Amino acid sequence: MTNKLILSLFLLMSITIGYSQTKDQIKKIAAVEEKLWGAEAPYHDVFEIPQKWESESAVYIYRSVNYYYIRPQNSIEYTRVVRNRIKLLDQAAVNDYSEFKYKNNNAKQKHLYTFHLGLKVIKPNGEEHIVDVKEEKIEGEEETKLAIPNLEKGDIIDYYFYSDMIPGENDLYRFDEVEETVEATYPIMNYEFNLYTEKDFFISFNTYNGAPELQEQDVAEKKKRHYSFEMKDVDENTYPRWFYPYVELPCYKFQVNFARTRKNEKRAYAFIPEEDFDIKKTVTKEEVYTFYEDKLAPSGDIKQVRHFIKEHDFKSQTELVTAVFYFMRHKFYTNYIEAIVIEDAKIMNPFAYYMNAIFFNNDESFVRYFAQVLKDQKIDYEILVGTKRFNGSIDELLLEYNADFVLKVNTETPLYIDTFDAYATINKISPLLENSEAYSLKTTKKAVISEIAHAKLPASTYEENNSKEVANISFKDGFEGLVIDRNSYHIGHNKSDEQKSRLEYFDFVYEDYDKYNSTSVLEFAGKKKDRERHKTEYESLLKKLKEKQQENCKKLTSSEYDLKLDDYSFEVIKTGRFKTGDPLELKEHFTTEGDLIKKAGPSYILEVGKLIGGQFEVNEKTKERTQNVYSQNPRSYTNEVNITIPEGYEVSGIDKLNFNIDNITGAFESSASLDGNTLKIQTNKSYKNYFEPNSNWPLMLEFLVAANQFNEVKILFKKS
Amino acid sequence: MKKKLTLTLLFLSTLVYCQKQIDPTPEDITQAKSLKVVYPDDDVVLINSNDYIEFDINKDNQQVIVNHKVDQNLMNISSRADIQTYDMYNSESNVEYFIIKYRNDKEAPFSPKYESYTSNDLFHNDTKVVYTNLDFPVQGYQYALSSKKKYEDIKYFTSIYFPDDYPILNRTITFVVPDWLELELKEMNFDGFDIEKTEVYDEKNKTRTISFTVSNLDAHYDDKMAPGPSFIYPHILVLAKSFTYKKESHTLFKNTKDLYAWYKSLVDDMTDEPFQFQGKVSELTSNTSSDEEKIKNIYYWVQDNIRYIAFEDGIAGFKPDDSQNVYNKRYGDCKGMANLIKQMLILAGFDARLTWIGTNHIAYDYSTPSLSVDNHMICTVIKDGKKIFLDGTEKYNPFGEYAERIQGKQALIENGDDYILEQIPVATSADNQSHFIYNAKIENDEIVGDAHITYKGESKASFLYNYNNLMTNKKGEALNFYLNNGDHNIIVADINPSDFNDRENDLNLDYHLILKNTISSFDGTIYLDLDKDREFATYNLEDRKTDLVFNFKKHLESEINLEIPEGYTIEHLPEAIDEENEDFKIHLSYNLNNNILEYKKLFIIKNAKIKKATFEHWNKTIERLKSTYNEQLILTLSK
Repeated sequence: MTNKLILSLFLLMSITIGYSQTKDQIKKIAAVEEKLWGAEAPYHDVFEIPQKWESESAVYIYRSVNYYYIRPQNSIEYTRVVRNRIKLLDQAAVNDYSEFKYKNNNAKQKHLYTFHLGLKVIKPNGEEHIVDVKEEKIEGEEETKLAIPNLEKGDIIDYYFYSDMIPGENDLYRFDEVEETVEATYPIMNYEFNLYTEKDFFISFNTYNGAPELQEQDVAEKKKRHYSFEMKDVDENTYPRWFYPYVELPCYKFQVNFARTRKNEKRAYAFIPEEDFDIKKTVTKEEVYTFYEDKLAPSGDIKQVRHFIKEHDFKSQTELVTAVFYFMRHKFYTNYIEAIVIEDAKIMNPFAYYMNAIFFNNDESFVRYFAQVLKDQKIDYEILVGTKRFNGSIDELLLEYNADFVLKVNTETPLYIDTFDAYATINKISPLLENSEAYSLKTTKKAVISEIAHAKLPASTYEENNSKEVANISFKDGFEGLVIDRNSYHIGHNKSDEQKSRLEYFDFVYEDYDKYNSTSVLEFAGKKKDRERHKTEYESLLKKLKEKQQENCKKLTSSEYDLKLDDYSFEVIKTGRFKTGDPLELKEHFTTEGDLIKKAGPSYILEVGKLIGGQFEVNEKTKERTQNVYSQNPRSYTNEVNITIPEGYEVSGIDKLNFNIDNITGAFESSASLDGNTLKIQTNKSYKNYFEPNSNWPLMLEFLVAANQFNEVKILFKKS
Repeated sequence: MKKKLTLTLLFLSTLVYCQKQIDPTPEDITQAKSLKVVYPDDDVVLINSNDYIEFDINKDNQQVIVNHKVDQNLMNISSRADIQTYDMYNSESNVEYFIIKYRNDKEAPFSPKYESYTSNDLFHNDTKVVYTNLDFPVQGYQYALSSKKKYEDIKYFTSIYFPDDYPILNRTITFVVPDWLELELKEMNFDGFDIEKTEVYDEKNKTRTISFTVSNLDAHYDDKMAPGPSFIYPHILVLAKSFTYKKESHTLFKNTKDLYAWYKSLVDDMTDEPFQFQGKVSELTSNTSSDEEKIKNIYYWVQDNIRYIAFEDGIAGFKPDDSQNVYNKRYGDCKGMANLIKQMLILAGFDARLTWIGTNHIAYDYSTPSLSVDNHMICTVIKDGKKIFLDGTEKYNPFGEYAERIQGKQALIENGDDYILEQIPVATSADNQSHFIYNAKIENDEIVGDAHITYKGESKASFLYNYNNLMTNKKGEALNFYLNNGDHNIIVADINPSDFNDRENDLNLDYHLILKNTISSFDGTIYLDLDKDREFATYNLEDRKTDLVFNFKKHLESEINLEIPEGYTIEHLPEAIDEENEDFKIHLSYNLNNNILEYKKLFIIKNAKIKKATFEHWNKTIERLKSTYNEQLILTLSK
């Protein structure tokens, strides 16, 4: 079975459990099975696929996704039933479906779960073999496995998953959000979506990117509702690089909330329709306002922050807000990390010393706390409600969990505050929110949210998101290899990625301790007599973690160049954590064997183009891209490569290192010159925009191909 | 509500904090530091490891029980170590206790976890694991592990190995063998290890105490493509021959006949119903012109239609599934497939037998009567006095050819109450030849021409298996990727293959091939990097501890014939390489034949193995090879 299939089963199964089925459930499953497999079942008599898909691996004759939200007696119940009828055309497809594995949900929860798998194999002559899943399955502690008998090329596998949940609560319940694209690994001949609900279930639902609108179906019973849509001839998925499926592919999103009374409706933490018989398709800005008006009101115990402010003499609101942000980042975040590491290493349990610690476990609590500080300091602010660009535009916002918050502090020059983690800086917001439309929740002088308006989140430029690498390179004796000393400087979003992959907590926690006069947990936690031992154990741990960091960074750099590295060392010069524009500065030393050096008689050829690291590979398939291009953010990469020319040698082929492609989508520019016995090469590659329409793909290819060509350039070191 | 702040604090931690008053002594720290010098790549060393093995009789079922106790002292030699210590068991054995203690012999509060062990190779197995996570907070820190495993039936206690996951300073394995048990302890791979054996007889208890002691053992080797453990590690094979209970003698596995008798008892217990697939057999054997064709049709049908899905659960690990089950389910393990082939052939009127065999992963043959001798089952068909072996798990394997893993191995063929031992024929590396020919010329700074590849034997079978298991709509792309080695500078076009379903004839592929960015021109001189394949360039075996084992004998041949552009001459041709010994032959040569540069390579791995004894020769050859691969050909304009 492919990983993808296992994954999708796991996702489905993440809410299921192998409890024995109750009589009611057995009856319900039997009814579902009759509907899916009975004489009247849709597509039960379809065995053939269109000629155009005969050379596919498999084809979905029918994929049916069904959600049921019902209220038997006094409880509420959720059921998801997915039926797939797939014709397996080759051995790969048979292998994919020959084994089913699904995780058991062993968590003890207050909900009741039922899971059932129905499966049959239909031979080319129409003969049906229903698999006795109960008999054939092997139930392990963690997962259940099933080997599908009598499955061969040319067969149809027709199976359904039935997952049922009866929540413990039955007055107000928010069911999980659903976002799905209408596509699969194989083409789909017939796709059907059904949603069945009853009174007091509130539905927000919409389809996007060409998926048909949800239609209400006639239902005899007054309290019941049925909605559906159908699609035909859906091609298989192909996910290229730089692609947002929920913006490009037909998809649907929905959420169902149960609220027994009007009072419960008001308590629902979701955008829900006015009435249970309405389907909410969009969320207006007024609704956003109403929803967050109270939920994002200032709140929190800000004594420590007040004290911090009192101790300092800030010259401006900008200075104050900036200082408070970094103070909070330490006090309520990095200040806890050492304790967590110590606890995780079982050196001691220091958590008793943090019993009343302030900790933000979600975005809302951080926004409200910071708002409380701003209110206290009488600083005007707005809360911008946006959604990440891969969700679509803010006008299409439907699911509350797709909303994100950015604080805009209206100081002399506005300050933007978003992600709160160890590397968060003022004015650095998520790249996925940048340059997108948002709603602004404006506040009164008393920090009451009073109105809502459209706003645009700030953008960053490719110059602001830059990585610069300066590599000083010399040859090992007799051209046997290279010695490389590399300094890198990363700013903007490029910095965030590098910080997360290269830095460890000890690179910044002690920087913060020094700045804010904090004390290591080892100085005050635990019994006094044990402290020396704790320190010794912690130092041993630190030594090990630093060794691991060296290994990790060696691997990262090795994969950048696709070379085996030796004699590697890594050092953090500056963490760049106190300004978005301050660089993260790293220093590395390493050597390589002669992989990039070729002997040419008495001369040597160096694959110099490889010294800027691997480039996005353009091949015939990537050239044929038909989708639009979605980048996380504009960005640029600068390389300076300085090669010391060995004594007695001169260099040929420098002219081949000059490239100059610059257009509206991006650039690749390079130049090379001789400075004494040093060959100096400089390259700049930039991706200029967040989004490129497919019509601009040829322009992108221009600079991507140039970078590929540079990668192949070789120079000759000739005996003078 | 969103939760994107990832830092989580567990204020109510349930973790157990160890009593850490058991700090290492200064002597421990000194020892750990000196051990780190000896074992720089290891974190933990077993200071002592003692195994104590006793035997008993279960009076209810009259089976011999084995009690295996282990006491180990583990020391951290790094700054800190976090490891998982574990033991495996299954339906034939049980771990009775698994206790961790501090250095001062007080029990540490670790709760061992007992879980099923999953393997990618087996769909389902009954192996379970007991484990605990150990944290060693400082250098020199120690724990002691005591465990006891009980085997309900001695026949499943087949061997005990000396090395462990960690280096061992001192290891003692002690057997207390009562007089009522006839037991042979066969010493395997002891050469090169200083293993001391002592034996003491206890008159009072009527037992022999046999101890094996060894010092300074390396941890398990970390080599890829290594021989099976029974080839490389010192170990003791435990051969339980018979026992006497209430003055009555009971035979266990005294000789091969006893082993066969037990296997046969399992086979006799099967309830095959071949009539269920009579129709299929008739279909496969009708309209055939020879017996060989009938056998082939049945053999190939099983290869192509029965999926390999392995169950290893108790007796199912030894007893084949009934043939009708395998036929109806269209899946089975090696035993199930062998039995289905047997029953189908019998229906077709042939003399077919089940055949037990140990693959080349196992060092023993049937002179050792033990369950550890074999791990595989095939079918033997006897035709005109000739034995032909049929392995249903080998996809795209032609009739009469055998996979490397069983070649030369002894096969135990059923023969009523008796058995037949027969060796599987051995192929040569030439039988697995792959031959690449490329006739090319230089055009616009690219090398352009037509290529041809032929695959034979196992190189063909592995190609066909991989190719035919690809998604149909991805096959073109995958074939391209295979032929250009994932290198975007190699362009493959107009592929014309022979039949991808023909397992009996050579596989031939013709295609157009362009090598880009392989020519550099400086000051009117052309520099040519002709070799994109660089076979074996990364196979330096300097740090390797064990023989290098390939999946089959290799015979790779390559010929590139490049037309030199008019007016150009080649200044210098790299020196030829011609090296050969009992394990390999490597040949590389450049030759200028008029205006054609002939570049020939031949790599033969004669026995699918490079032995440690030939590593030095191999490594020197590989270094020469790399150096030649790195040499550019220089084409200069004639004056």
